[in-house]
Formats: sequence, structure tokens, C-alpha cells
Amino acid sequence: MSYSPEYLASDVKGAWAIAKKDLEIYYVKPNIYISGILFPLFMLLAFAVGRAAPLVSLVPGLIAITALFSASSIEPVSVPIERRTRTFDRLLSAPVSMFSIVLGESISGFMFSGSICFLLFIPGVILYQPALISIAILVLGIILSCFAFASFGTVFAAYPTENVGEVMSLLNLIRLPLIFISGVFIPLESMPLWGQTVAIISPLTYASDILRFGFEGTTHFGPWTDLLMLVVFAIIFQVLGNFLYRKFNI
Amino acid sequence: MQAIVVDHLTRRFENIVAVNDVSFQVGVGEIFGYLGPNGAGKTTTIRILTGITLPTSGNAYIFDYDIQKESIRARRCMGIVPETSNIYDDLSAWKNMMFSGELYGVRLPDRMERAKELLATFDLMERKDDRVRVYSKGMKRRLTIAMGLINNPKLLFLDEPTSGLDVQSNLIIRQVIRDLHERGVTVFLTTHNIEEANVMCERVAIINRGVIAAIDAPEKLKATIQSVQSIEIGFDHPEPGMMEALQKIALVNEVRKEGDKVRLFTSHPSDVLPLVIDYLQTHHIRPLSVNTHGPSLEDVFIRLTGLEETSRASSERGGS
Ligand SMILES: Nc1ncnc2c1ncn2[C@@H]1O[C@H](COP(=O)(O)OP(=O)(O)OP(=O)(O)O)[C@@H](O)[C@H]1O
Ligand SMILES: [Mg+2]
Repeated sequence: MSYSPEYLASDVKGAWAIAKKDLEIYYVKPNIYISGILFPLFMLLAFAVGRAAPLVSLVPGLIAITALFSASSIEPVSVPIERRTRTFDRLLSAPVSMFSIVLGESISGFMFSGSICFLLFIPGVILYQPALISIAILVLGIILSCFAFASFGTVFAAYPTENVGEVMSLLNLIRLPLIFISGVFIPLESMPLWGQTVAIISPLTYASDILRFGFEGTTHFGPWTDLLMLVVFAIIFQVLGNFLYRKFNI
Repeated sequence: MQAIVVDHLTRRFENIVAVNDVSFQVGVGEIFGYLGPNGAGKTTTIRILTGITLPTSGNAYIFDYDIQKESIRARRCMGIVPETSNIYDDLSAWKNMMFSGELYGVRLPDRMERAKELLATFDLMERKDDRVRVYSKGMKRRLTIAMGLINNPKLLFLDEPTSGLDVQSNLIIRQVIRDLHERGVTVFLTTHNIEEANVMCERVAIINRGVIAAIDAPEKLKATIQSVQSIEIGFDHPEPGMMEALQKIALVNEVRKEGDKVRLFTSHPSDVLPLVIDYLQTHHIRPLSVNTHGPSLEDVFIRLTGLEETSRASSERGGS
């Protein structure tokens, strides 16, 4: 897979056009809010009730899971629908590269989840009152997490079906277990060794770790490792997305 | 330079060959028709030429750009109108146009001007801010074509542009194609509507089961089958035994009943006509109408695609 930088400008513009179009069409679809926001919220509340933990301690975890669920909720809905209405062919036959399509789809998920996480972030800042440097790291962490998770969702949408349900169940098969192995509910330190090993390959681990660091000052990997790993995951998902869309969609 | 060069293109799906070793060229500025029955491989060919589907083997070039290796350059020259009107139902016509322009890298002032022009041409200006969801089929089709033209393409692909549309929409679309032709735009048009190919296209390729059966100008294709000229006679009420009698006239190849008319196939209509008149006069039969027909593109099509039987069945139902 080679990429010719000659097309970079038109590809970025194309990606932006695709992202704007997705947001305009899909942000009004209720199922995106249900699976992207309500679902993680209920998961967390259910957990909190069982443990009787102070609600405030749930903020970092809530933002991390919301980032995952909202960012990966647009493409798995939009892409199969667009396959069915054949509007996806429009993208495939446009004078932009696959890089542009995958990036554009990811940006729409990123913008959607970014804005929701920002809404949760404000009360978090008021409650915890973190230092300015922590706020900066948090903003960076949230941005990278949302983009990595949006790219993750885009990868699943490469599955060549016109049925939203098929992509969603495939996605949830991976996305749900991630909650339990990524140190969101149970701190990594108190997980068995195998659990800690599996946690390393989950992007949610680093998102949750950086949020905990920013708000509470505790960290398992250190903030720079977290940020670096989120970048690495974003790149892996982008490259994988390009590969899978090429393989299955043309 | 040619607008399209197709070189031994083949596309296989699991167990069928949708496009089988197809080669042809389309000159710059030409209106080229790609005519074939359902499942012939028309859409598959267009999908390969627009880079949505990969060929199993063979090559295709758009203005000398290899569609696989230089697909972005090739696509910048083209506008695409696919078989299904693939527009965004949740957006207005205007926003559909804007998105399409943006995707093709048309600058904002240009795409606004162009969108206004095109929406006016396609008679959609009044409804431009309505969601496309509420549009009629013909309106959706017109919008799809307008979107395909937003980038001022040098080459336009139209996959069955007018199928299932009313006269009004049809006329607009045909007029647009003629205007494009005048401006030197190359048009590649698939259809199973023979009349459409006949009146619109300078050259026609007839494709059947993935294989090209003939490529030529419609008139030249007709000239290859002079034997299917015909005389058509309309009667008030047919006389018993008339069909058999007409069949016996010299040089008549075949007599076919088509609705309230009878059609005599012959390669020498001018010799047959007096004999027919003779027969009618001696039997005191008054014809309502007499017409002679040259070979139609439909006849060529039927001949080349081996659809003889189906066509006869449909003629007997009164179509032609
Ligand atoms: N994705 C696919 N998978 C399997 N077979 C396919 C696929 N796409 C097309 N075909 C087959 O290829 C053949 C040609 O199809 P194509 O759509 O090109 O025909 P067409 O000439 O456009 O027909 P129509 O006039 O009905 O649109 C058909 O037999 C069709 O079933
Ligand atoms: Mg077709």
C-alpha cells in the first residue's frame, strides 16, 4: 500500500467533506445516542450502585468509556446504511484516496465523541480542580482517545455488509469486554497477571490511565506512555482500516 | 488520445463471467452507447471504468490514465451517474450538490454557481431546500445527474439514465446530454432502451452475457441486416386465411401478426408491396394503413443477442 503525497491537499479536503456530511446526517439518529452515551452511562451506574463508590470517582472512567462508545458509534451505523443506499459508492468513486475516506469517517466519530466528552470534562474539572498542566494533558488525552476510538469504529465498519446490526454485534463483541480488562472498573494493580497482560493490548487502558492521571494523579504506565500508545493505536487502526476497506469494498 | 480505452477487460464473480474479454475505445467528444439486456455486464463495466470494482484481468484507461494505477487523476476527469440514484435522503438537494462539489474539490464560489445552474437546468431550483427524501423518483434521478456534473467533467458515465422516467424528465435528460455533446464532453451511456441508443448515440456497442457482439454507428448496424425490412399493414378486421396467403407471396420471408397490424418481413419491400396491394384488391380488403420500415436497431439487437423468442412473445402482446 503506497500513498502519493501529491494528493494530500485534496484528500484532506475530501476527508473533511465526508466528516461534515456524516455529522449532519447521523447526529440526529437516536440509536447513536443510545449506544454511544446512554449505554456507557448505565453500565457505569450499575457498577457504582453495586460498589457504593463515591460518584465523583467515576468521572475518569465515565469519560473513558463514553469516548470509546460514542466515537465508535457513528461509522458502524453510517457505513452499512450508505452501502445499502449506494451512497458509499459515491465515496469510493470520488477522486480521493482510501486514506481520505477512512480519515473522513474517523473524523466524524471523533468530532461527535469529542463534543460529548467535553461536556463531561467540564463538571470533572469543577469537581477535581486539577492543575493547569493536568488540564492540558487531559485535553490532549481526550483528543487522542476519541480519535483512536473513532478509527477503531471505522475498522469494524469495513466489514462488507449492508446490515447495521451485523457490524454492531461484531463491534460489541470486542468493545464490551474491553471495559472489563482495561482498568476502568477494577484498577490494573488489583487485576490478576493475565488480566494485566491483556490490558496492554487494549486502547481503552491508556485512555482510562491518562484520565485517571489528569484528574486523580494516579497512573500505571505514566502519562507519556499513555499518550504515545494512543497515537500508536490511532495509526494502527487507520492503516488497518485502509487495508480492510481496500480488501473488502472494491 | 481517446477518452476511454478498454483493453481485454474481464471480470469474474464466483461462478459467472460478468465481463468477458471486452475491448473497445471511445473517442473524445463522442456519445457512446452500451446496449445490452439485463445482466449483460453493463454496470460491471462502468464500475470497473470508474474504479469501484477491480477487473480480474485486462486494463482500462481514461484519457490515458490507467484506472487502477492513476485512479485519482482518472476520476478527476469524470462525472458518474450510477444505476441507482444514490443521493443523501436526509440532506436537501442543495446540500447534496455542495457535498458532491466539495468531494470533487470544486472551490466554494464555483460550486455554488454551478449548483444553481444545474438545479435550474434540471428543474429542481424551487425545491432545492427540501429534503431529498420527499422527492419523486424522477426528481431524484435528475438530482443524481446534476450531482454527476458538478465538477464539469470531460467524461460522463450514465448508467441507465432514463429508465423508468416520464416523458418530461426524459426530455430534460436528453437535452442535457445533447448540450454536453455540443460542448465536447464525452458521454458513455448504458441502456437497454434501444430507441434511446438509436436517437442519442453516435456509436453503440451491443453487449450480451459479458461479450461484445457488435460495435458501430446505429445506421451501420442496421445496414448489416437489410433482410429484416418490413411492410406493416393495418386492417379493420382481418380476413380468415389472409396470413397464409400473404406468406405465399414471393420474397416474403415471414409474416407476423402484431396487434391489429400484420408485418411482412422481406429484403425487397419495393417488389413485395405491389403484390400485396394486388392481393388486397382482388380480395376487396381495405387496409387502414400501410407503412414500410427499415431494419430497426431492435432487430439488430435481437439478431445479435439471440433474443428472437422473447421478442416474438412481446410483439404478440402488442408491443414492438
Ligand atoms: N458483486 C457481484 N457478485 C456476484 N455477481 C455479480 C456481482 N455484480 C454483478 N454480478 C453478476 O454479473 C452479471 C452482470 O451484472 P451487471 O450488473 O453488470 O449487469 P447489467 O448489464 O448492468 O444488468 P442490468 O440491465 O440488469 O442493470 C450478472 O449476472 C450479475 O449477477
Ligand atoms: Mg446495470
